[in-house]
Amino acid sequence: MCSCGEEELELAANHTGPKGVINDWRRFKLDSEDQNVPQNKKELIRQMSHPRDDDRLRKMSVQEYEMIQEEDERYLKHYRKQCMQEMHQRLSFGPRFDSVHELQSGEDFLEVIEQEHRLTLVIVHIYQHGVKGCEQLNSCLDCLALEFPGVKFCRIDAVASGAAERFSPEVLPALLVYKAENFFAPDVEAFLNEYGLLPEKVLTACGEDEDEGGDLE
Amino acid sequence: MGEMEQLRKEADNLKDQITAARKAMQDTTLQEAAASINVVGRVQLKTRKTLRGHLAKIYAMHWSTDSKLCVSASQDGKLIVWDSITTNKVNAIPLKSSWVMTCAYAPSGNLVACGGLDNMCSIYNLKGKDGNVKVMRELAAHTGYLSCCRFLSDSEIITSSGDCTCVLWDIETGTQKTIFAGHQGDCMSLAVSPDFKFFISGACDFTAKLWDIREGTCRQTFGGHENLSRINYILDLCKLYDLRADQELITYQDSSIMCGVTSLAPSLSGRLLLAGYDDFNVNIWDTLKAERVGVLAGHDNRVSCIGVSSDGMACCTGSWDSFLKIWN
Repeated sequence: MCSCGEEELELAANHTGPKGVINDWRRFKLDSEDQNVPQNKKELIRQMSHPRDDDRLRKMSVQEYEMIQEEDERYLKHYRKQCMQEMHQRLSFGPRFDSVHELQSGEDFLEVIEQEHRLTLVIVHIYQHGVKGCEQLNSCLDCLALEFPGVKFCRIDAVASGAAERFSPEVLPALLVYKAENFFAPDVEAFLNEYGLLPEKVLTACGEDEDEGGDLE
Repeated sequence: MGEMEQLRKEADNLKDQITAARKAMQDTTLQEAAASINVVGRVQLKTRKTLRGHLAKIYAMHWSTDSKLCVSASQDGKLIVWDSITTNKVNAIPLKSSWVMTCAYAPSGNLVACGGLDNMCSIYNLKGKDGNVKVMRELAAHTGYLSCCRFLSDSEIITSSGDCTCVLWDIETGTQKTIFAGHQGDCMSLAVSPDFKFFISGACDFTAKLWDIREGTCRQTFGGHENLSRINYILDLCKLYDLRADQELITYQDSSIMCGVTSLAPSLSGRLLLAGYDDFNVNIWDTLKAERVGVLAGHDNRVSCIGVSSDGMACCTGSWDSFLKIWN
């Protein structure tokens, strides 16, 4: 919870929409170290957060409207940061990584895929020195690895690991993506876009087919 | 007390007559009428772009009518206008209040508006002479939070408020032209008809009302038992109403969904309905068959708002993690 110790506010289901905003505001007020929010007002907010059945028509009390007028936004920045961190922790399970992991051999490769925590996404870049695009993709993945600590980025040298037998230079660089027990062909463009891909020119170096988007209609 | 009893009986009588009239209009169910239509199949939308720049949860977003630009409002106290193709930020507008519940893009593309717990609707001119975006008007009169706003033109905007009313404003003068009163609970959302003659408001009094903008009157009321949170956006359940038959057609629900809907976006053809829920998921419904045909899923996708562009080519979602994503 964003709030400290005792000031817990049961979130109920109101995360989104106008009720979500009201809910966020109430949590902020309860958590606020602002002296302008005395105990009795905090008590009111707590009560409003657990409405009785006959109260469902109106979402905010008159006193709460008055509290907004006296707002001090100094604590808001701190509160927002806390909320983001808390959400990240709550929703990103499993181990964290901070760089692209170099796999030395075929055994390493299998081990990583089989052993990683079931919720961790594993991305392996098969590269070969001298093959166009591999170096670019490696730099790109270095950046992404920092930005997405919940994803395990790895790379393996096709020649050094013997993978070159299976992966001829024409298909490199190749990105393999693994999640839980399902192997699925990487849909590179869509996937990397979900992560907010950096320079798009890196993508054109990849040997993957790009997915055609269908109309929403 | 005799008179009260009589009036109560009369009211009940009228209610029964309405129910009977509606039943008489119901010559078939949507399921039967749609039975011969082909199934739409699994719908899989993919993220095409990610818009990064906000520093906190996205509360609302709205597409411009050009289907290229869109505006988003966030807890970080900013309104950002994006070019969804290049992902560039066209404008970043600082707001006085961070508790913003809604934002809107004028059909002309000249103005944007937003409002929230400050009880005001602030209008910004994007095409000012010196290039700076400034507050053009602050429409203040509501005594409750501003839950939604939608432009009719550069000179008129409609707002819905937690004070149980909706208002049509004259932006030039900053005055209220028409007050649409009648709801018994907080108005949570509104949607304007494509011909700009009507709008529908949804409120916490369990009803949705169809209003005639020029007459200022309520033409129809829908609902009754469920809490209507967002227009067309219904808490707990998603329902489709037929305006002409004046009744509920179908409910979109699934036993695995345990929370309310807070945002809705129909596809251009109306065949698909994207519904955003309180638990941050988005379900895609086949409107005719009432079946779930897809979900918007991403690795960390937690959707707080959703919008489909006017040309129907893309959908935009805003998330708790400060990113907006463009899907198709």
